[in-house]
Amino acid sequence: MTKNFEKINDSLIKRQKSEKNFKLFGLIGIICAISFLIIILTSIIIEGKKAFVSTYIKLDVFFDSKIIDPDNTKEDSVIKSANFNEIITKSILENFPEVTDRKEKIKLSTFISSSAEDELIKLIILDKALIDQKKELWLLASSTIDVIHKNPDMLNFPEDERLIDDKELKWFQWFLSEEKIKFSANKNFFSNADSTEPEQAGIWGAFVGSFLTLFVTLILSFPIAVAAGVFLEELAPKNKFTDFIEVNINNLAAVPSIIFGLLGLAIFLNVMHLPRSAPIVGGMVLALMTLPTIIIATRASLRAVPPSIREAAIGLGATKFQTVTHHVLPLSMPGISTGTIIGMSQALGESAPLLMIGMVAFIVDSPGSIFDSATVLPVQIYLWKSTAARGFVELTAAGVMVLLSFLVLMNAIAVYVRYKFEKKW
Amino acid sequence: MGFWAFFIIFASSAFFLHWYATNKALRFNAGIKEGSKLPSLPQYYGLYTLLWFIIPILSTFLIWTIFKPFLVDYLVIQKIPANLLNSFGGNPSLILSTVKAISLQNIFPGTKQELIDLAKYMNELKYSTSSSFYIAILFLGLIGSSFTLKKISSRFRARQSVESVNIKLLIFCSTIAILTTIGIVFSLIFEAIRFFEQIPFFDFLFGLSWSPQTAIREDQVASSGAFGAIPIFSGTLLITVIAMSVSIPVGLLSAIYLSEYATNNLRAFLKPILEILAGVPTVVYGFFAAITVGPFLKGLADSFGFSIASESAIAAGGVMGIMIIPFISSLSDDVINSVPNSLRDGSLAMGATKSETIKKVILPAALPGIVGAILLAVSRAIGETMIVVMAAGIAANLTANPFDSVTTVTVQIVTLLVGDQEFDSPKTLAAFALGITLFFVTLVLNLYALKIVKKYREKYD
Amino acid sequence: MQKNKIEAKKVSVFYNDKKALNEITLSIPEKKVTSLIGPSGCGKSTFLRCINRMNDTIEGCSMTGRILIDNKDINEKSLDPVLLRARVGMVFQKPNPFPKSIFENVAYGPKIHGLTQSSDELNELVEESLKKAGLFSEIKDRIHEPGTSLSGGQQQRLCIARAISISPEIILMDEPCSALDPIATAKIEELIDELAHNFTIVIVTHSMQQAARVSKQTAFFHMGNLIEVGKTDSIFSNPSEKKTQDYITGKIG
Repeated sequence: MTKNFEKINDSLIKRQKSEKNFKLFGLIGIICAISFLIIILTSIIIEGKKAFVSTYIKLDVFFDSKIIDPDNTKEDSVIKSANFNEIITKSILENFPEVTDRKEKIKLSTFISSSAEDELIKLIILDKALIDQKKELWLLASSTIDVIHKNPDMLNFPEDERLIDDKELKWFQWFLSEEKIKFSANKNFFSNADSTEPEQAGIWGAFVGSFLTLFVTLILSFPIAVAAGVFLEELAPKNKFTDFIEVNINNLAAVPSIIFGLLGLAIFLNVMHLPRSAPIVGGMVLALMTLPTIIIATRASLRAVPPSIREAAIGLGATKFQTVTHHVLPLSMPGISTGTIIGMSQALGESAPLLMIGMVAFIVDSPGSIFDSATVLPVQIYLWKSTAARGFVELTAAGVMVLLSFLVLMNAIAVYVRYKFEKKW
Repeated sequence: MGFWAFFIIFASSAFFLHWYATNKALRFNAGIKEGSKLPSLPQYYGLYTLLWFIIPILSTFLIWTIFKPFLVDYLVIQKIPANLLNSFGGNPSLILSTVKAISLQNIFPGTKQELIDLAKYMNELKYSTSSSFYIAILFLGLIGSSFTLKKISSRFRARQSVESVNIKLLIFCSTIAILTTIGIVFSLIFEAIRFFEQIPFFDFLFGLSWSPQTAIREDQVASSGAFGAIPIFSGTLLITVIAMSVSIPVGLLSAIYLSEYATNNLRAFLKPILEILAGVPTVVYGFFAAITVGPFLKGLADSFGFSIASESAIAAGGVMGIMIIPFISSLSDDVINSVPNSLRDGSLAMGATKSETIKKVILPAALPGIVGAILLAVSRAIGETMIVVMAAGIAANLTANPFDSVTTVTVQIVTLLVGDQEFDSPKTLAAFALGITLFFVTLVLNLYALKIVKKYREKYD
Repeated sequence: MQKNKIEAKKVSVFYNDKKALNEITLSIPEKKVTSLIGPSGCGKSTFLRCINRMNDTIEGCSMTGRILIDNKDINEKSLDPVLLRARVGMVFQKPNPFPKSIFENVAYGPKIHGLTQSSDELNELVEESLKKAGLFSEIKDRIHEPGTSLSGGQQQRLCIARAISISPEIILMDEPCSALDPIATAKIEELIDELAHNFTIVIVTHSMQQAARVSKQTAFFHMGNLIEVGKTDSIFSNPSEKKTQDYITGKIG
């Protein structure tokens, strides 16, 4: 007996060491996982926060009546068709009298975003007294200037890696030294749809598209999933047929999402001829994908209702159907809602199946109905990422931030609902 | 009559009928002083009438939406003028597909006027559902409900009928899962068969070269492209292996730490953080892989003096591994937690240390469940799309080098189907052949994994 | 002169803030069977689990007071529970063989502690342990079949074999027969008698008859307090406390 004791005692130090190592490995595993998350989020925030401001350039704009309204008609239509590009070019050139070359003039004029023309038109139409007046204005800079302004270390790059040549750099530095260039909130990002110009592109169109798509998804999947869940959990007899349904549901939960996209393409578009790129089709595809999630959540929360409730209702002479609809289902509603919100947040982040049904279109206007062409937040992110222009990188990251904040919001609601309304039995 | 007008009439008649039938039942009961009143509560008569108003309308509407396209095709074919038919060699379906390809917002210059007219006609048919149809289905609903209104009497048990209709509706909703599976199989199989009519099955499955780009001009050489899928399968496998070699160790170790070592408080704090990792959309991982990880790895390799592809398999696979970590950790956590405590106690009481208990008792006991979890994760990795679309390559290289660029099944499906689709060229149809392969492989993995996990659960329940 | 193997001095146990045991002082004689009886929730299992520090594995469980084995404090910081548990074996309420073969179940302890040098030695040790547990003759042909394939009583004897394979000095038994039928119970009780020649045994039981049958000393617990301890015969025939009297006559339960 003492022999055993000594043997164990001898090996103890080694065993204690291996115990410590093993625990350390586990800790390293979890630290790895968490640091991945932190790296992902910080890299996105660092890149994305730049997109929430835009660069503006201060110019003394002279609203020359010769260009805007030579015949002094004061008609809106005349003003709208006027060459405001020339006005902008002239005001910017005022700062650089030495520039005479035509090519250089054009280069200078591209410092300002093409959307500034529309801004000026709006200004004149609102206040026609401005014609032939000079006004100091902050105009939206083009994306190239914006990128340079946001990444000051680019100024030291060699000319061919810098996006702008030496002349443009000189002009840019002049604006900088005169404090005629500043950052201000990027209004376009939250109000515009997609655009070919990074400084004019916004997330609003994709947001509306996501909203319409999720609306369709919710309308279709929630009632069907709850009905299926109720049938399978409460009313279904245990037989081959219901077993088969169950296997199908569990399998559908694990089928790759892109397969649902192929289903949508072949059946909803090619057979049923529903409109391409439309939220109605996107919503239908996502509804099929979300069904298993909500069905499984419904069944879980129905199962959590104690049998005593059912026995009490049936004991009073209620039918099985009445028991479920009057007592069990209302009691399990918090759990079902939580599952539904989580299903919806999965659907919000889903993009692969939507690529298949053409929701990757370049959409300049926000969709007005579920039959219009639209895109959704994650697909917009994908589209921006695939665009070459440098200015879209930070826009993509900002899009990711918007998407993530919606997901956080939805999950917070789900947690709140669970915490607040769910009964512990 | 537009859709919304129809909808308003439909909704208000539904309300009215429900109210009217309930009222009628109430009056019936009030009229009977002695003898048998209605066997069910009055509102059941209202519900029953409502159901027989809604069901005929909805089902006709559904059938109509499904079959309308065929009707439209038929009507358009009837309208084809003879001279057009001749110029297309007497093939109406060819005309039909040409007409469908015409976009009315952006008419390609030089398109024949007859074709444009046909396209306009088709558009009209497609997007205008005639008022006569709406009136007809409303009428159908009224017929249905008027029958049920007549049935209100003491011999008619409305509750039983309502419940039996409702249960049938519930059954229908449950079968949607089956219908979806059938829909998937059919949508993939028909196009895949058309693909295999053009490309032999074994050439697809065992061919070593993949270049689906069909030629622009028809007389170009090799206009059919090459459709050997082995490089795609190997690429998918490579990325999956990389992903699993990140996610299995990290995920399993996290699960072990969480379930065996972490205190309850720490666990309550760490688990939601891991779940955040699971909630991040795949497009975000794709962006991270393409913008951050890819360039970082390339820069790292450059500084060590060797070059790797900017869309390397290791960037896409590594980030996919991160995505799968929470999947493995939460499934294994469940599995480890369901190993009964009596086994832990038994081992600890023998004087085993915690790690000995885990390695020698708990993990062997949990092994089937963990294998199931890993198989589900593999199935997920194979089917994952956005990360590889954004961070992996398009060119089908047959290589096992993780620093090279490879392509995957899902990337190819996306590349083949985004953009112009021609459902008679093997290029488009190839996507469906890849799709059915993907579906079949993941189906087998899922079913097998779910079976293992289920069996495992039953063992310790 | 009787030697005491275990001495408990003012042992209190808390689950978070809830007191589960209240200043238990108890001596347990060497190579005898001591039973702990009392209604469920009285703290007898909690006390048992203090002796091999199994309560350490429960979060929020803490202990005050001292437990001495051979006059050494088991809660001393320098003492690894591994060493303690190698000396104090335990058999649980529900048979809990590992999902391994019968052989591997018994070989588990010697293997983790590195007690044997060769596989012959290990085979011998396993066989000997199974014989001591009275199981060997029944299962010698299927020693490599899973331990879970045995019947409940056999599984419990396998667990006893597993416990004695590392030659502990003390065996703790936590209601070892509560999941078994009367025949299997009789076999285990027989085995306990046999084992008492070599081991100090502490057994928790909910059955007073069992305590009367197997033990020399009996301690009665009630609501976390030790009410009475003494020779089994005298406890059952002539209890000095009224609560003990009430319990054995079935007035409280």
